[in-house]
Amino acid sequence: MSIEIQNIGKRFGNFVALDNINLTIPTGELVALLGPSGCGKTTLLRIIAGMESADEGVVKFGGEEATHLHARDRQVGFVFQHYALFRHMSVFENVAFGLRVKPKHERPSEAEIRRRVLDLLKLVQLDWLADRYPSQLSGGQRQRIALARALAVEPKVLLLDEPFGALDTKVRKELRRWLRRLHDEMHISSVFVTHDQEEALEVADRVVVMNHGKVEQIGTPDEVYSNPASPFVYQFLGNVNVFHSRVHGAWANVGADSAEGVPPKGKEALAFVRPHDIDIEHTPVAGGIEATVQDVHAIGPMVRVELAHASELIEVELTRERANVLQLAKGQCVWLKPRQVKVFSVPEVPLEEGGSGI
Amino acid sequence: MKRVLPGFGLSLGFTLVYLSLLILLPLSGLVFKASTLSFEQFWSIATGERALAAYRVTFGASLLAALINAFFGLVVAWVLVRYPFPGKRFVDSLVDLPFALPTSVAGITLATLYAGNGWIGRHLEPLGLKVAFTPLGIVVALTFISLPFVVRTLQPVIEDIEPEIEEAAASLGASRFQTFFRVLLPGIFPALLTGFTLAFSRAIGEYGSVIFIAGNMPLISEITPLLIISKLEQYDVVGATALACVMLAISFVLLLAVNALQWWSANRHQSRRTGA
Amino acid sequence: MSSYVARKANAEPRWVRLSLTGIGLGFLFFFLALPLVAVFAEAFSGGWGAYLEALQHPEALSAIALTVLIAVVVLPFNIAFGVAAAWAIARFDFRGKSLLITLIDLPFAVSPVVVGLVSLLIFGAQGVFGPWLAAHGIKIVFALPGMILVTLFITFPFVARELIPLMQAQGRDEEEAAVSLGASGWQMFFRVTLPNIKWGLLYGVILANARAMGEFGAVSVVSGHIRGETNTLPLYVEIIYNEYNAIGAFGAASVLALLALVTLVAKTLVEWRMRQETEMLEAGLPPEKTS
Repeated sequence: MSIEIQNIGKRFGNFVALDNINLTIPTGELVALLGPSGCGKTTLLRIIAGMESADEGVVKFGGEEATHLHARDRQVGFVFQHYALFRHMSVFENVAFGLRVKPKHERPSEAEIRRRVLDLLKLVQLDWLADRYPSQLSGGQRQRIALARALAVEPKVLLLDEPFGALDTKVRKELRRWLRRLHDEMHISSVFVTHDQEEALEVADRVVVMNHGKVEQIGTPDEVYSNPASPFVYQFLGNVNVFHSRVHGAWANVGADSAEGVPPKGKEALAFVRPHDIDIEHTPVAGGIEATVQDVHAIGPMVRVELAHASELIEVELTRERANVLQLAKGQCVWLKPRQVKVFSVPEVPLEEGGSGI
Repeated sequence: MKRVLPGFGLSLGFTLVYLSLLILLPLSGLVFKASTLSFEQFWSIATGERALAAYRVTFGASLLAALINAFFGLVVAWVLVRYPFPGKRFVDSLVDLPFALPTSVAGITLATLYAGNGWIGRHLEPLGLKVAFTPLGIVVALTFISLPFVVRTLQPVIEDIEPEIEEAAASLGASRFQTFFRVLLPGIFPALLTGFTLAFSRAIGEYGSVIFIAGNMPLISEITPLLIISKLEQYDVVGATALACVMLAISFVLLLAVNALQWWSANRHQSRRTGA
Repeated sequence: MSSYVARKANAEPRWVRLSLTGIGLGFLFFFLALPLVAVFAEAFSGGWGAYLEALQHPEALSAIALTVLIAVVVLPFNIAFGVAAAWAIARFDFRGKSLLITLIDLPFAVSPVVVGLVSLLIFGAQGVFGPWLAAHGIKIVFALPGMILVTLFITFPFVARELIPLMQAQGRDEEEAAVSLGASGWQMFFRVTLPNIKWGLLYGVILANARAMGEFGAVSVVSGHIRGETNTLPLYVEIIYNEYNAIGAFGAASVLALLALVTLVAKTLVEWRMRQETEMLEAGLPPEKTS
């Protein structure tokens, strides 16, 4: 079922949590709401679920108005960051809950409930845990049970609030791939909230990047990563070097060739370059800038080089092969050449420093 | 392992000596006195007609009072935690009044309120409801003195309910009613039972507030502690001792029950085997 | 006070909220508020003059004095026992610890009348030590020492019960740090432990005091009811109530009710203070200095 969000706004006192949000989620898509904490992504998810009411705007499910529908009547599956399993019920009873509370004429028979719960437990590969209690499960197991419980009522929409946020890295990676496969099998619309850009880019069909209660960009993972619509998106999705055009006039010019939306000549601008989009040469190159090697770290499959140009620090990521060829040493003078630059006019709100992904 | 902090011997030693002098010595005195009785003598006193009637009154009234408090205490705790209303802080403090008000004050006040010409009794009497100087009066007094237990045991537990649990139930289609009875009540039930047992245990031993309102008719409205006192006043120390032993045994059982309940609520669903 | 805000999906319908609030508050009104008001209404039913006269009766005054005396004697013992027991239980592991904790709860479970009776059995004329005490001219039951003894028994759990969970929650880090910095045992206690538990200690003392001043059943058994000598205020209330002197009884009762109100206010203030300190600790800020 498709979800339409029109002009949604929400305030908490003086704090604007959501500001005129418009978003359409087509049937069958897996959409990530991505943004830093406090950007409004969880509030938006809770409004879709009916657990929070918007101050203004409309929520539609499958084209039908659902703005004032109570959470229990929305047929929405909701998965919480901290699982919210019923601790006095066994795993089986947790999953069966949604079926047991149905009105009598809709409620399946005991045998049918049993069959459906066991099917779901098989689907999440935990049928051998049916008699356990939540406190006896690991975090990853609990979250899979929470998912099975949400799916038991055959929701039209599945909403997940930071579903892997409380898990450790290894389990998190396993579970998100598994979620992707599950979503494809179930043919439902899913929306999940995350602050982890890697998670969003890996799992989602589309990513909605949010900041300060507004949508910054909506696009496929490739679009938002390769073609960010704003400085914020650029900084939030991965490491980036930011240059003021006045300082690096040469690069702004280089960038001007490849970037869209370039501000008029002479105006101040920011140039964004990803660390892996810069090449290092020992000899001067056209359009390159000179820099001094400060430090070289080998991190797993790649090598990170820190360089100084005037007073600014530049980060470059090289493959191991390339680093072996270059044989960089501290204090060495080299030339940097960007492969891809994006230029934005200087935003009114200053960007946070060190735009790493978290 | 060597203890880093000082004072273990001193503090534990003092604690044990103090407890021994204050508890173990006197209680052993009770058992010593009781042991001068043969079992047949003990049994005939402990199961005498008047004693049995006193047990019935004491336990019946205490059970009723604890049940009343379990119901209203749950409502009060829920309202105090969940709903805003003016003067809430004041009401919350007032709940402890029965702990702070001396029992004899409670006794004479309740007796006056529920007497035929009292503020409440005057409206009940035309309905044929006599409270003061009847077993019903005992229930009223016991309800008063054991009122805080259920409320105070439940309040922190209700405060700790994660809102996500209720939201999860709602998103699965449960009505508010279903959420309360299937999800919330099982979670707070151990605390409710603990509060109930505490209230019951307090009510059984109560003396001061009851004697003013009960009427104290042997076989009808005489509670066990009062029977002990009247035996003492007739210099029947042996009889009083036998009854006190019965009361003490019941206190011990209830104390163990409360401990077991608390252990159960902390450990249930975790004591089973864990791991794969 | 908790500031619970019902989330949208968790809110009951308005009529449910209103009726539950009505039931809860109605119950509290009939069982708590009305009796409290009635005490004062009865006390003043004869006017101010009669009220003051009742309170200035020599027997009433001596009952007040005896009540205060017993509390003053009992409280230091409560504090010493409470702190020692909490220190041993919260800071060390030893066998039989849970049994000890259960024993500390015992006075809450035992009927006050049984407590009084037990004192008679030990120290009374026919009691275990009775003959020996009589031979040496020491009078315990039907006298002040007996009343103090039963009050000690009735009130000893309060301070310990308050301090044990508090000290367990605080952990032993700070004290271990003090010892590792070279503090002696008493230095550690007065400079680190005591400042950390002072509000909890005060809380326990407030509760113990209320019970010590208000105890009726146990004290009644061992007092002997000698007018002007071994009558505490709660006992005095009983005696003159049974003489159909309602104004006198409720006059004395109003003093005790006032004491209960002061207890509730003090208790609320200390609770508020303790919550403030834990909140500040959780926020990582030093507690606000009172000016």
